[in-house]
Amino acid sequence: MAGARGTLRIYLGAAPGVGKTFAMLGEGHRRSQRGTDVVVGFVETHGRQHTAEAIADLEVIPRRTINYRGSDFTEMDVDAILARHPKVALVDELAHTNVPGSRNVKRWQDVEELLAAGITVLSTVNIQHLESLNDVVEKITGVPQRETIPDAIVRSADQVDVVDLSPEALRRRMAHGNIYGPDKVDAALGHYFRIGNLTALRELALLWVADKVDDALQHYRHEHQIAETWETRERVLVAITGGPEGDTLIRRAARIATRSGADLLALHVAPSDGLTGASPAMLAAQRLLVESLGGTYHQVVGDDISATLIAFAHAENVTQLVLGASRRSRLGALLNGGGIGSSTMRMSGDLDVYTVMHDQAGRRHTGPSLPRGLTARRRLAGSLLGAALPALLTLVLVNTRSSFNLSSDLLTYLVAVVAVALVGGLYSALATAVVSSLLINYYFTPPLYKWTIAEHNNIVAIAAFIIVAATVSLVVELAARRTTQAARASAESETLATLAGSVLRGRTGVFALLEQVRETFQLTSVTLLERDSPGDSAERRWSVVESVGVQPCTTPAEADTEVPVGERFVLATRGRRLAASDLRVLGAFAAQAVTAVEQQRLTAAAEAARPLEEADRMRTALLNAVSHDLRTPLASAKAAVTGLRSADVAWTDGERAELLATADESLDRLHRLVDNLLDMSRIQAGALSIRRQPVALHETVPIALDSLGPAAHDIELDIPDWLPEVDTDPALLERVIANLTANALRYSPPGVPPRVSASTHADSVELRISDRGPGISEDQRERMFTPFQRLGDTDNTTGVGLGLALSLGLMQALGHTLTPEETPGGGLTMVLAMRISTLPTGEAASADPNASSIPASAVDPDILPVPEGRRQ
Amino acid sequence: MTRVLVVDDEPQILRAMTIMLKARSYEVVVATNGKQALATAAQSSPDIVVLDLGLPDLDGLDVIRGLRGWSKVPIIVLSGRSQGVSKVDALDAGADDYVTKPFNVDELLARLRAVTRRAPTGSEEVRAVIGDVKVELPGRRLSARVPDSGSPDVRLTPTEWQLLEVLIRNPGRLVTQREMLRSIDRADVGDQSHYLRQFMNQLRRKLEPDPARPRYLMTEPGMGYRFQP
Repeated sequence: MAGARGTLRIYLGAAPGVGKTFAMLGEGHRRSQRGTDVVVGFVETHGRQHTAEAIADLEVIPRRTINYRGSDFTEMDVDAILARHPKVALVDELAHTNVPGSRNVKRWQDVEELLAAGITVLSTVNIQHLESLNDVVEKITGVPQRETIPDAIVRSADQVDVVDLSPEALRRRMAHGNIYGPDKVDAALGHYFRIGNLTALRELALLWVADKVDDALQHYRHEHQIAETWETRERVLVAITGGPEGDTLIRRAARIATRSGADLLALHVAPSDGLTGASPAMLAAQRLLVESLGGTYHQVVGDDISATLIAFAHAENVTQLVLGASRRSRLGALLNGGGIGSSTMRMSGDLDVYTVMHDQAGRRHTGPSLPRGLTARRRLAGSLLGAALPALLTLVLVNTRSSFNLSSDLLTYLVAVVAVALVGGLYSALATAVVSSLLINYYFTPPLYKWTIAEHNNIVAIAAFIIVAATVSLVVELAARRTTQAARASAESETLATLAGSVLRGRTGVFALLEQVRETFQLTSVTLLERDSPGDSAERRWSVVESVGVQPCTTPAEADTEVPVGERFVLATRGRRLAASDLRVLGAFAAQAVTAVEQQRLTAAAEAARPLEEADRMRTALLNAVSHDLRTPLASAKAAVTGLRSADVAWTDGERAELLATADESLDRLHRLVDNLLDMSRIQAGALSIRRQPVALHETVPIALDSLGPAAHDIELDIPDWLPEVDTDPALLERVIANLTANALRYSPPGVPPRVSASTHADSVELRISDRGPGISEDQRERMFTPFQRLGDTDNTTGVGLGLALSLGLMQALGHTLTPEETPGGGLTMVLAMRISTLPTGEAASADPNASSIPASAVDPDILPVPEGRRQ
Repeated sequence: MTRVLVVDDEPQILRAMTIMLKARSYEVVVATNGKQALATAAQSSPDIVVLDLGLPDLDGLDVIRGLRGWSKVPIIVLSGRSQGVSKVDALDAGADDYVTKPFNVDELLARLRAVTRRAPTGSEEVRAVIGDVKVELPGRRLSARVPDSGSPDVRLTPTEWQLLEVLIRNPGRLVTQREMLRSIDRADVGDQSHYLRQFMNQLRRKLEPDPARPRYLMTEPGMGYRFQP
């Protein structure tokens, strides 16, 4: 191959017409002016004048003509380009599929050859052709894409330029006829080029490119062997204690999160060995606050708050941690260490930690503060005190021996032992008692400074001293244990309160509940299983109702811990065996989860019953509205007729004629309404008789308009007589057209008559009835076809809403579609799409030369794009 | 000349009503929605208002309440709503009568005349004839219509007299249940319609020639009673 591989530069656009080809040609010109050898390999102008002009004096390699099934197609001539071997080749539409018989199936394969030959290629791609986005695009636009290009090809391009244009600008460009011929503009604006579509496609394009930029970053990191994760997506975690400063912290964290576009998480660590004075009510309020700010609330149980916090942060990929400033006073911090804040900061590693000042800082807890259980620190303090205090006492008492007798000495030592017990618990107190008794024996009982005791009396005193000291120590120790147990129980009940709160609020589904179990107990997976059929244990079959985490259990046998709920459910957890004390909480969770499941099922059942309710409402509405609409014309007719019959008035001819006209008009109106009602019930009963035949719209539409009387004379009619015939029942179609046009007339402002036009789109003919009236907002469009939607009798101008419902019903019965659209520039356009009666042989009626960019919703995949100039 | 304000959003009804009322030498003004109705009523001070309840802007009930805020003009509701609730609501809001669409023009005209007739007050001599019985209100006396057929052997209780008096003083006009109950100081004691029905049945048995098919003391279901002279 000739030298190094060429580079590929791709112009990526969100939709046809944004100016990719134009941008590519511009770059071609720039390079050509710099003296580079540039040729046009293949550029499709789509008949766009501006594009054709842009080619200007660039050298164009002639296309190859290929004959397929009796038609001629032109394709890029790869051999000619290779032979010409320019420095740069411009090749439009990278996703294009070549005509069978070409050397490659896809154009990007042609381009690969050019690149391999060392030719630099500039090309264009529309976002909807990328393979990975295929289904997304179909979901957005409702149009399946047949032309696709592997993402890898585009990703491997040396440079991708996004050609970006705002949807509004694109629609404007289209309305000016810069993109398609005037005959296609209406259909295109109404279908593919809706603002919603374009915005979504544009976002897709930008996101895809952002992803590619991320790729480049990965690549860079890989090359430079950088191991730590570089978070491009920030996650902010705020730690809340349940104290009053939580609100400040949460709001502050939310601001930080918003500024960097980050996710917000809030975590409360409920310690199992003691309570920090968290108020459940305040936690619940803070949970609501977090959720209202778009964050998520989490709660875990952990002994070491800092370690739990950091572990959670790492597990959740948190990048920034927000803590409150310590509530300890400066003195407290000196005595007890720096608190959670400083220990967390020491352990935080690569996390950013923000310490937020709040007006609760340096204050004592306002919540109830329970005495802590005996921590290691207290035990150590006890031992030190136990060593120091007897020694100190001995020193003092020996020097003041003359002033005190033995019983005072004993009581003073007892005070010291109790003090040690209060600080350090049982063992240090016992040790102190023993040491003290020895010291008393040595220094204070005669004979002095000997390990013997002369008087029995004193032996009894020392024995009593030891017993009292031991008993007091035991009581202190027991009290401390009870305190710990109480604290653990409150930690549990706090978790349960949170849980109950979330279930009561109805916001937590089964999934969230299980996730909370997994998070609280730090398990691998939590699964709710349901027994399929009650039977003996050998035949038990289980189905998974809901599961969170990895490696879920499918039977209770696989679980590390299982909690049965009722006859049918079992909550199975995996990860570690839970302690008996945790099972109580787990049991409560399981019961809640089952309640939630049952609630969900009840909701579903209620949902299923809704159509019946709906039908009932509909019947009432029908009665109200129809009775009004039948009564009103009946009332005028009857009033006119009874008036004429009155014997007491001599009517003039003019009056008589006017009363008769009133009766006649009213009866006509009644007649139309009864007709519509009958047709509607025929449609609903499936008893509509349809006589299908090929129908030419330019003949049928004027007949339908004639039935509307003189008001219809002004309607602007644009129905070419060369349009193909459609397959329909002419009488029913007339009714629909008359109904819709009458509607359009009603809403048209004076002087701006509605417009009725027709054009072909894909394999259908579309008839568009557009008015320039107030239009109908997007959210009301779904409702507009509901029959009898008007419940009262307050509006005589719109009727019961039968017209539109009937039109839609008739169109559906005929197999056509009826869709409302916005008239460009305001107003409502009703689009009737009808299948072309019989396909002309040998040629697709639909085809668009730019079939790769324009959705051809129902084109037979075997039928190929028709070459330029062969369309009708 | 009696001026009638006709409020309806249906052009055909307005046209028919206008022709017919003018032929009977009423003066007619029309309004097609509630706001216009209130404005027109204020400007042209009609003697009577014929009102449709289903209007495009305001509900007819609100129009009634709006009018009643400053005017005692008789209001006849002319509506397609035929349920009892609508009638009671309209009468409670202050309407004087209620005619259901579709309607007979003669009937409507009779109601128009009835509500515009000035109700006699005080001790004026009021007489009425029910079948073979002549009723004289001030003296509360019943006598035979034909003088020489002897006095009728019926006696009315004081409550029956009070109810009969309210009806006879408003010939042809709808007297609502509430009005009747008020005349016997019963208006505040919950739903008393069955009580009223009982008294009316007694009155019919005593006075109507054929109590099963009343001809004079008519029931307007859901609304009240009417004395048809």
